Amino acid sequence: MGDLYVRFRAVLLRIVVIIGFVVVGVRLWDLQVVSSEQYLDAADRNRYRLLPIEAPRGVIYDRMGHLLVRNVPGFAVYIIPGDLPRDPDEYAVVLERLANLLEMPVDSEESPRGITQILQERTIGPYLRVRIATQVDRQVAFIIEEDHLELPGVVVMAEPQRHYYDAPLMAHIIGYMGRISAERLDDYLERGYQPDDSVGVSGIERTQEAILAGTKGQKHIEVNVFGREMAVIASSDPAPGHSVYLTIDTEFQAQVEDALRRGMAIARSEIGVAIAMDPRTGEILSMVSLPTFDNNLFSGGISVEDFVALNEDPRRPLVNHAISGQYPPGSTFKIVPAVAALQEGVVHPGTTLECRGTLLLPNRFFPNDMSQAQPFRCWRRAGHGHINVATAIAQSCNIFFYQVGGGFMDFPGLGISRLGEYAQMMGFGESTGIELSGEAVGLVPSDRWKRQTFGESWYTGDTYNASIGQSFVLSTPLQLLNATAVIANGGTLYRPQLVSQVVDIEGNVVSTLTPDPIREMAISRENIEVVRRGMRQTVTNGTAWRWTFDDVPVSAKTGTAEYTKLDEHGQLIMDQHGYLPTHAWFTAFAPYDDPEIVLVVFLDDGGEGSQYALPVAEDIMRAYFQIPQAEPETELEP
Amino acid sequence: MFSLRRFDWLIFFPMVAITAIGVAMVYSAFEASLPGGPRPGLDNFALRQLLFSGIGLVVYLVAAGLDYHIWIASYRWLYLLVILMLLVTLAMADPTFGTRAWLNLGIFGIQLSELGRVFMIIVMARVLGVEGHKLEGAGPFLVSGLLIAPTIVLIYLQVDFGMALMLGTVWLGAVFLAGVRWRHLATVAMGAAAIVPLGWFQLEEYMRGRVYHFLYPGLDPSGATYNVNQALISIGSGGWWGKGFAQGTQSQLHFLRVRHTDFIFSVYCEEFGFIGAMLLILLFAVLIFRLIRVADSSRDRYGRLIAGGVAVSLFAQTFINLAINANIMPVTGLPLPMISYGGSSLISSMLALGIAQSVSQRRRPPDNPLL
Repeated sequence: MGDLYVRFRAVLLRIVVIIGFVVVGVRLWDLQVVSSEQYLDAADRNRYRLLPIEAPRGVIYDRMGHLLVRNVPGFAVYIIPGDLPRDPDEYAVVLERLANLLEMPVDSEESPRGITQILQERTIGPYLRVRIATQVDRQVAFIIEEDHLELPGVVVMAEPQRHYYDAPLMAHIIGYMGRISAERLDDYLERGYQPDDSVGVSGIERTQEAILAGTKGQKHIEVNVFGREMAVIASSDPAPGHSVYLTIDTEFQAQVEDALRRGMAIARSEIGVAIAMDPRTGEILSMVSLPTFDNNLFSGGISVEDFVALNEDPRRPLVNHAISGQYPPGSTFKIVPAVAALQEGVVHPGTTLECRGTLLLPNRFFPNDMSQAQPFRCWRRAGHGHINVATAIAQSCNIFFYQVGGGFMDFPGLGISRLGEYAQMMGFGESTGIELSGEAVGLVPSDRWKRQTFGESWYTGDTYNASIGQSFVLSTPLQLLNATAVIANGGTLYRPQLVSQVVDIEGNVVSTLTPDPIREMAISRENIEVVRRGMRQTVTNGTAWRWTFDDVPVSAKTGTAEYTKLDEHGQLIMDQHGYLPTHAWFTAFAPYDDPEIVLVVFLDDGGEGSQYALPVAEDIMRAYFQIPQAEPETELEP
Repeated sequence: MFSLRRFDWLIFFPMVAITAIGVAMVYSAFEASLPGGPRPGLDNFALRQLLFSGIGLVVYLVAAGLDYHIWIASYRWLYLLVILMLLVTLAMADPTFGTRAWLNLGIFGIQLSELGRVFMIIVMARVLGVEGHKLEGAGPFLVSGLLIAPTIVLIYLQVDFGMALMLGTVWLGAVFLAGVRWRHLATVAMGAAAIVPLGWFQLEEYMRGRVYHFLYPGLDPSGATYNVNQALISIGSGGWWGKGFAQGTQSQLHFLRVRHTDFIFSVYCEEFGFIGAMLLILLFAVLIFRLIRVADSSRDRYGRLIAGGVAVSLFAQTFINLAINANIMPVTGLPLPMISYGGSSLISSMLALGIAQSVSQRRRPPDNPLL
């Protein structure tokens, strides 16, 4: 007992000390030697950040070098989660206050998503900022800046946004930018975008995204715990986006828009399209679709009211009807059966067919009972008499083309399949490939198509109607323009193009427009020449007799296309005489000998093409060739 | 009285070495990473720590010079002083870092419980340093328990669980080294063992959560997890040799919080690696073993219990701090003796070692070289 007993306790204490330090030592061995690498990685992840350096987006000029788009500072609001108040009540107050300023919900799973949800989704670290809103109104941004003491953890940063000059005039061509849509997100992420980047979502902004956006730079930095940059380890400079020159001349575009607006007002048409193109190259000189919209609304982060107003307008101003509208082309389509019949030898340039104003197509089950025959009428009730193909085009004779298309009695016509082949060759039923998104493809009907769609067989009457651009044929204004250009240029279908030049930041030309033929027509020049002559005759001695100037020889084709539309009671809309409403069409090219411009004018529900669409085309041609307006005639047309 | 020949260099040297490392680490953990460079004058934490070391050294030498029986003789006054200090602290302290253990004295905050612990080592030594046969009864044992209990409660009320744990350790160490019979110790241990789990499982789930957070206050659970994770990353990324003095990315870029106090060992491990960590542990081990040796060879029971108490206290605090840093134990908030920034802790530690030095200088010649 006593000393030895007490000494034994001291020995026990020594053992405890040894065990304690050995345990710590083993643990340190495990951490610092065995698993060191893993912790070294973790330490590196803590301190290194790869930050994108935004590349300045390229701008857009018109063909004359006139600036159409500029980058201006916009504002984005971020939250640094670690700087938000710790106290739950104060935290809620800050979010509430910010939500009120930004006019967004605090808590919402639905779109627009609440701040809480955005924070949950995007928070990576306590001191890495989370983007809450972009394109914040300047006033709101200033208020947030001034209130920063009341809004701890909230920061405002400047971010460029687009400002469009000549906004409504060019809106359909240039388009606008917006957030990456959910379904395209993966695609963009793969290309190095960040989830909250702005990208072009329509127009040139969208199709030329890869050219305009440039390449982001990267900065490899060392940060402290607050995410503050302490040192730059490495960086690669961003490559600024290239700038784009359009084929459009803003001044001409404005003249075209004026002309179209006037024409629409006279025709009481709600929707109108005018497109001008160089038939030698496929360069689009002007493209106007009315009504249009202000694409700057989207740069400011479009408000819900504005978007709903645009989206619910029955005239659909956000839609570029020049490429997205599909309409029966009417008589302007007759150039297709004309070249087809000539090339197929169905008619020769001199072949005449008779028009008596009405064609009675016998019922195929009772071919001899003319009382059961179906009447097909020409627009001219008296008939055109015996006419050849060129005159038929000039006079826009329906009965000539019924027979050419569907045949009559002993005269064999083209038939729908051959007619369809030529239509497709000339670009109907396929997208043109212009640098715009949302192009419609139109429709070239066929026997097979009708069976599949309606479960009915194809009748000769269907071919008759298809031959004059009615029944099922649908075309976009751009497709019709492109087909007309084939006649104008003698047989080449070009891809319409809007970008004339791409230049880099230093002004070096990266690429220049080169004509991009889609295909050469399998049609002889002579046959095309016959149709060209017919179109010239249309102006000199045909349906375009209202054409007033002859300074430049113009060729044209008129069109008045019936269309069917149901009213709210499900009844066909008819005019007071019991006729279907019509779209007014007009196609033209000039000069006749060596065309440098081809154009199409379309007035939705515009009535007679020769009466209402023609003056628009004439104004456009006058503007293009700088022919002054004629003196107002004292004697007005009735 | 003070003889150089009898001066215990094996206490002095490790103490000075550890303190020097401490000053360096405070510099690295706090001053080296400031954007404007180290701060001038007494704003500089490393210089402050150096100043505290100087004061501590004087205290150490004075205490070494004094006969430790003076402390023993005035144990009643010391005890009253401890209770008074704790009451004053409790009444006046500012709530800083979630604990109320700090008394604000203008430029310096002072943590009187650190001094109280040293005095309680002496009080315990006096109460339990009786003849062996008296320990057969439960008397001294009960008295020691009754004396220590109010101090633990007062510190617990300051929401300083770490220090309360340390005082408990002071009592346990003294009781153990004094030779209190196993049956007494076993009774206490069994009582505790019976009450703790019973009480624990009686509690509702959320209550248990509260108890947990009450036991480990000052840091919210996520914050605690963050610190522990960052500490592990710091230690682990140090590897064999460390990243070099003031080169630790975790500490210099402030990923590691409370790096100049409770988590300073992680900074040290990051910058000096496994080798450095072993060296520091070796210094502590040498010091603690020397203190136990001094206890064994002391002239009387009081000396034995003082030196032994200092050894147990130093070991317990060091071990717990290292274990927290290495995530073997939950976070309780205890500084690493003589390394963590803080004058109260440093000077109190050196006072304790000075008193142990006094014991050492008055010990009897070794009779058994093996022990």
